[in-house]
Amino acid sequence: MNSKIINSIKQFVIAVLTIILALAVGAILVWISGNDPAEAYTTLFRGALGSKARISEVLVKMIPLTLMALGMSIAYKAQLWNIGANGQLTIGAILAILPGIYLGLPTVILLPLSLILSIVGGALWCGLAAWLKNRFNANEVITTLMLNYIATYFLAFLVYGPMMDPDGGGFPQSKVLPEAYHLPLFSAQMRIHGGIVVAIIVIIMMFFFWRTKLGVKIDLIGQGDKIATYAGVNVKKTVMVAMLISGALCGLAGWNEVYGVQYRLLEGLSSGYGDIATIIALLGGLNPLGIVIASFFFSALLVGGATMQRMTEVPYSVVDIIQGLVIVFVIARTAIHFGWPQKLLRKEKKDA
Amino acid sequence: MLSSIFTVGFLVSLLAGTIRLATPILLPALGQIYTQRAGILNLGVEGTMTIGAVAGFSAAYKTGNLWLGLLAGMFFGMLWSLIMAWLSVTMRANQVIAGIALNILGAGTAVYVYRIIFGVQSLPPQVTPFAAVNIPLLSKIPIIGQIFFQHNILVYLSYVMVFVTWFILEKTTFGLKIRAVGEHPRAADSKGISVAGVRYAAVLIGGLYAGAAGAFMSIAYMNLFTESIVSGRGFIAVSVVIFARFMPVRAMWGALLFGFASALQMRLQALGIDMANQLMLMLPYVMTIAALIFASKKAEFPSAYTIPYSRLER
Repeated sequence: MNSKIINSIKQFVIAVLTIILALAVGAILVWISGNDPAEAYTTLFRGALGSKARISEVLVKMIPLTLMALGMSIAYKAQLWNIGANGQLTIGAILAILPGIYLGLPTVILLPLSLILSIVGGALWCGLAAWLKNRFNANEVITTLMLNYIATYFLAFLVYGPMMDPDGGGFPQSKVLPEAYHLPLFSAQMRIHGGIVVAIIVIIMMFFFWRTKLGVKIDLIGQGDKIATYAGVNVKKTVMVAMLISGALCGLAGWNEVYGVQYRLLEGLSSGYGDIATIIALLGGLNPLGIVIASFFFSALLVGGATMQRMTEVPYSVVDIIQGLVIVFVIARTAIHFGWPQKLLRKEKKDA
Repeated sequence: MLSSIFTVGFLVSLLAGTIRLATPILLPALGQIYTQRAGILNLGVEGTMTIGAVAGFSAAYKTGNLWLGLLAGMFFGMLWSLIMAWLSVTMRANQVIAGIALNILGAGTAVYVYRIIFGVQSLPPQVTPFAAVNIPLLSKIPIIGQIFFQHNILVYLSYVMVFVTWFILEKTTFGLKIRAVGEHPRAADSKGISVAGVRYAAVLIGGLYAGAAGAFMSIAYMNLFTESIVSGRGFIAVSVVIFARFMPVRAMWGALLFGFASALQMRLQALGIDMANQLMLMLPYVMTIAALIFASKKAEFPSAYTIPYSRLER
């Protein structure tokens, strides 16, 4: 127990150092671009956390990113490389919005129904990849990637075709959801919405998830099929369940985007959150608390970065570079000390 | 509506467009055949191509020499993929994550470099692209000539590379080493083949091809550089490799299929025809999954696919 805490602290400190190192490189790049790094980072910081409204923006971004990263963490723990978060979000969002636009149900029924539909949509889209893996041994990296494109084009088909808003002036977007269905706002001046309650519930559930029987099973698969089989785990079934949950959380992120932020379907709904969620899951060490912290950092970076770009001459690409560097540093370090190849390191020790 | 589709002019421009649009998919796909056969899945091709595009454009613009642009694209594509090689071979990091990271980093770096070199301009700087080379006699053949023999030099070279790649992989010792390292690294190691060395080479060659493809986009197709210049072609290339079961000639057909889908969409759009072309653009991805089902069944993947090699591990 004690060593566990020390290990967590160590992980945290290293994660912070990683971020500082990436920010330092970012500062050099800002300086090369002929700008003042101090001013750039002050603007970035103020843009992210300078007022209640800014913090609200960070939270709005945090909701989908945290949900998706938690979803990714479940798959990644099982060594299933689900990179289809964007597609799962998209399908979840599409299924979720259908009753809202077409059925005219009372809000009390509509919101839970749409939430369930988003979960089902995301889960099925990811479950399809799991089925292809179990049944045909199809590499989930490629299938989830392909399913991203299929979902993206399907969304484009819908918003350019059958679901296009007839009064939308030809913009590729669906009709707006009736106002009664919009997730409640906490304040009229801010965009932070009721979806955060759902996100918090999921986060709390995730804290317990890894202690459940299912959580342990998923962890075991990650240690290798052989080990899991010896431990009496049905590998295929657990692969399926892990992927279903992973996709479900991404689908839920889609529900949040549609009912809490955009109130309609539009092209590019996922705005590439999937890749960032992947990074967050890893920087957070696949553990819920770590993910929430990492998600906060990245959301702040995204929101503050946008402000920095507006207010100063610093190119936004610096923010992309910082994100990329963080993850390169993380995997380079993970490979040496922690995480995946630990099995391997143990073996090396044994051999030595 | 249909009458405007079924004209000779439409078909000619459609097929010529197919061949041209297949090029920036074919090149990185050929490169990835080396990489993937050596057992490394590099999802970072997208980023490598963006780096190649900005390097190629900048060099061509500053020197006024398109060939120097191409060389710069290839060189920096290779240099960029060195990071992937280091992460995946030396650090034995997870290849999927490394690839995603390098895409984000690559896109950021390319845009940053462009901004540093060219600053903020109201009109994007342009280069005069490679001109079409009409092959003597052949290009004069009606229809066929217009479809096949009136492209720029890079298009022809890319299709020549199909043969070159096939030859290197199937007929040379180096190709044999690549396959050995991908199939059975331990056996290769015991035969005195440097697993790490061959894998580095395979990743770097992949970067070279991807960089060339990126340069193709900026100095032979778009004639300028934009942030979204690659727009998913790197990922398509990765899927084409799997679709093609790691064979160069099949990769050519795969690239042509994707080229056809996007050429058709562009042509229809030019005619102002409103068809559900999103569904059609989806088709190649569905077909890739289908191909994956068959490929996986026949176990045609290299045995050591995505698995880092360590001498100490058994």
